[in-house]
Amino acid sequence: MDLIGLYPTWYEPGIGSGYVVAIIATVHVLFSHTAVGAALLFTYLAYLGYRDDRPELIDFIKKYGMFLLVFSYILGSITGPGIWYSTTVGSPRGISALIHNFVWKWATEWVFFVIEVVGVYMMVYLVGKVDKATYLRIAITFGLASFATMLAIVGILSFMMEPGKASWAEKGGYLLAFYGDNTFAQLAIRSMFMLTITSVVGGIVVAGLKDPVFKTWLARRLAVLGIVTASIGMMLYPWYLSTLPAQAQIVMENRIPAFYNTAIISVLMATIAYFLFTLIKPRMMTAAVAGFATLAILILGLFPGETIRESARKPYVAGEYVYSNQVLAKDVPGMTIKSEIPTLEKVGFSHASVFWPETQREITPQNAIDVGRTLAITACSNCHSLSTTGIRPIARYFGGMTDVPRIQNYLIGALSTGNTMYMPKIPLKPKEAEALALYLASLADPTVVAKFVDEKTRAAEAEAVKAAPNKPVAVSMATPLHTGSKE
Amino acid sequence: MDASALYALRDPLGIPAAPIIFLVLGVLTWALHIAAVHILLGASGLTLTGALNKNPHWRRLADAMIGTAKIALSVAIVLGVAPLLFVQVVYDPFWYTSNVLSAWWVIGFIVFLIIGSLALFIFYGLNHSMKSTAKTRCPGSLIAAIAFFLLVGFIMHVLSLQMLSPEKWMQWYAPNGIVDASGRTLHDYNFWRFGFFISLSVPVIGLWLIAYRRYLMGRDTEDAGYLAFIQSLSMKLIPVGGVISLALMAGWMFTLPANVAGFATGIWPASTAAILLLAVALPFALGKKLDQGFWGFVPFAFGAVALIVVAVMREMLRWTTLFGVHGYNALDYKLHMDWYSTLMFFLTFGVIGGGVLAYLLTVSWKAGQTKGMYTASPLVNRMGTIGISLLGIWILQYFVIGLWVAYGS
Ligand code: HEC
Ligand code: HEM
Repeated sequence: MDLIGLYPTWYEPGIGSGYVVAIIATVHVLFSHTAVGAALLFTYLAYLGYRDDRPELIDFIKKYGMFLLVFSYILGSITGPGIWYSTTVGSPRGISALIHNFVWKWATEWVFFVIEVVGVYMMVYLVGKVDKATYLRIAITFGLASFATMLAIVGILSFMMEPGKASWAEKGGYLLAFYGDNTFAQLAIRSMFMLTITSVVGGIVVAGLKDPVFKTWLARRLAVLGIVTASIGMMLYPWYLSTLPAQAQIVMENRIPAFYNTAIISVLMATIAYFLFTLIKPRMMTAAVAGFATLAILILGLFPGETIRESARKPYVAGEYVYSNQVLAKDVPGMTIKSEIPTLEKVGFSHASVFWPETQREITPQNAIDVGRTLAITACSNCHSLSTTGIRPIARYFGGMTDVPRIQNYLIGALSTGNTMYMPKIPLKPKEAEALALYLASLADPTVVAKFVDEKTRAAEAEAVKAAPNKPVAVSMATPLHTGSKE
Repeated sequence: MDASALYALRDPLGIPAAPIIFLVLGVLTWALHIAAVHILLGASGLTLTGALNKNPHWRRLADAMIGTAKIALSVAIVLGVAPLLFVQVVYDPFWYTSNVLSAWWVIGFIVFLIIGSLALFIFYGLNHSMKSTAKTRCPGSLIAAIAFFLLVGFIMHVLSLQMLSPEKWMQWYAPNGIVDASGRTLHDYNFWRFGFFISLSVPVIGLWLIAYRRYLMGRDTEDAGYLAFIQSLSMKLIPVGGVISLALMAGWMFTLPANVAGFATGIWPASTAAILLLAVALPFALGKKLDQGFWGFVPFAFGAVALIVVAVMREMLRWTTLFGVHGYNALDYKLHMDWYSTLMFFLTFGVIGGGVLAYLLTVSWKAGQTKGMYTASPLVNRMGTIGISLLGIWILQYFVIGLWVAYGS
């Protein structure tokens, strides 16, 4: 049978599922990096506290560690599955591709995650209650486990952009999917920015310190760490870009709002400026200043970053073979995957989709508008909002056009052939293209629907009369008509 | 939805190891997840009761239980991630459909869980020491926390239940033939089933209290009145909660859909009821023995085993529904054996996970039992060093193999 495994679509009319995913991802990166950053810093403070026998540092950790660590840890560990859940509903076959390639890697990451969570509680509750060597062992264990979670996840994130090695498509297997240029470039850059974030978040901690001499000393160290890592991170950026697939580079150049890049660069500059300020005037750091700087830097820097990551891999969502609209676009012989495009070319969405209303499998003038809407939801809404607002609003892209045949021609000429590079190839049967065109036209002018039904009905009647002039019209109709036809 | 459609939804990538492995891991990790959820809900419930009470024993218990709840929350989340991973490996057609059909609630799950957690933290922040005052600040925050946790659990429940009705999916997705892609509706629920899973919190926290009491007895300075209070409380919670749970489970079995009604009279519900009864009876059978040796920890351990049986029953119901009624066999998933990642997981899990956690938990335990500063013995130090070395080796192999694959091969 010619079925392809398309899931139902979630279409969020307000802001679009893409933004929901990006928001949750941003929040997650914010909390998880804060957590890791704060944990690294507390470990260092505990080390100093034990080494130089400074009980006030231990007290300090007890007082603030609980709040920062556990709070950001819990929120980090909720929003982590949160990303997972939001991508599940936004792109079930995208997440499925990651799960089915990397289930063991994910499970491995989970082992480190468990160690991390146990470790973080121990660091908070056992500070001052266990001997120095033991505390340091716990801290090192925690640090290594945290780093390992990043190692485990980074190849999976890379695969969203492209398989580690191009030969994966031919040979298959986990290793070729996971490891590649992009994996390591991403790892390097993420490690740097994680340390930068550590320094930013560290400001909040430093602001709470009482001893002015120590405060100055620590603030300066953090500032240096921040400046060094942010600069290295910036220098690594071109390397990272060069590992992206050619397609993504073109999308980045042409399709990302120009201010995003500017935004990221300015945030980096602002970050460095902020560190310079704390380097020179460490005593000016209050919790409010540091907290505000943290939020500003992270949100302004992260959100465009996450949005770019979402956009740059268009038209794919994973492995350069799953389209954003969930259709499998290519053969992947290494994993015995067949492209679904030929099936769509053969029978169309209306017959190939698992989740398709039975009343819409055969297209008639009367149900054409509903079919068009279902098609738009299935094939376009992953990337375009179906209105005039939201992400890439489709109604605007047709500039108020209401000429159904013209839109239909465009759809067949530009989409079904795959001639628009940042868009998937979307094969449509002629009747499907017509139905979708009707729906798109109706967004600009709802009255086109009645006109369309009317014209089609007349045309069909004329056809019928021509073909069999002696027979009653309704009997010879190729497509069933609704009862109230104009006679 | 007929079987061919369900099979079409499967991921053509296949899976990297035998399907049964994922199924078993899913059941085991879900049992752990739900155990942590029970402790979370039970401990929050006891905290609330204690916080609204003037009796000093209750107030002291409230202090202890809010600490437990906080940690149980983290543990429940961490342990929830594992079944979340495994369920979509072999049951992807069902899990993804169910999620997309209630997409807003799936997002809501995260938001509500965050709100609940924050509420729990607010309560904790406001009430650092309930035993030293008779006043509780803002008990409403704790009530809100519990309510949001229940809502989160309810969403999980609906997602698990919607999976089991492929015959209704199309009606849910396109009521009257018009697609409703908004994902704003929760389409199905079973009060009895949800009530059963939640009500188990009562006996489980009772069993936990027995262990808590035994742990306190390890310190020699413990107040005997408090210990007796815990004893009598747990011995009430266990039987009362046990009976309520069994009644709810019976209700669930009576309300199974007609096409799997036969499941109710089969072996699984009977064995589940039997082991739950045993778990309830065990502390009474042990009696005075609970104070000796490690016996005080046995009832909880046995309770955990009973929860595994509950998890198996839950899985058998899913199997009976999906295979028996709908013809979907989770065990015939296409296999693309991947030895490296499979072995690497089991090695990491067994050797690193086992080794490192053994060290961490040993230290926590000993530190908890020691008054003042705990100094680790050479043996414990050795465990710690081995754990760190193992992590180091893992990281090393990651880079050696990775760089070789990326640049050398
Ligand atoms: C993989 C995501 C994706 C899907 C699915 C998708 N598009 Fe697009 N589409 C894009 C992107 C990206 C652009 C460029 C956006 C921009 O320039 O702002 C675009 C642009 C367009 C344009 C403008 C073309 C041009 O040359 O400027 C039209 C018209 C359009 N899409 C229609 C559709 C229709 C109709 C569907 C469904 C049948 C669809 N798209 C599905 C991603 C997608
Ligand atoms: C505190 C909040 C939580 C509560 C009260 C809770 C409760 C529950 C309950 C009652 C069920 C069984 C539903 C049924 O079968 O009817 C369940 C299942 C499940 N929970 Fe949780 N849960 C919580 C948090 C989480 C989190 C944070 C995750 C994931 C990160 C999670 C993952 C799961 C999964 C995947 C299942 C279904 C497993 C399957 O169908 O095999 N839960 N939960």
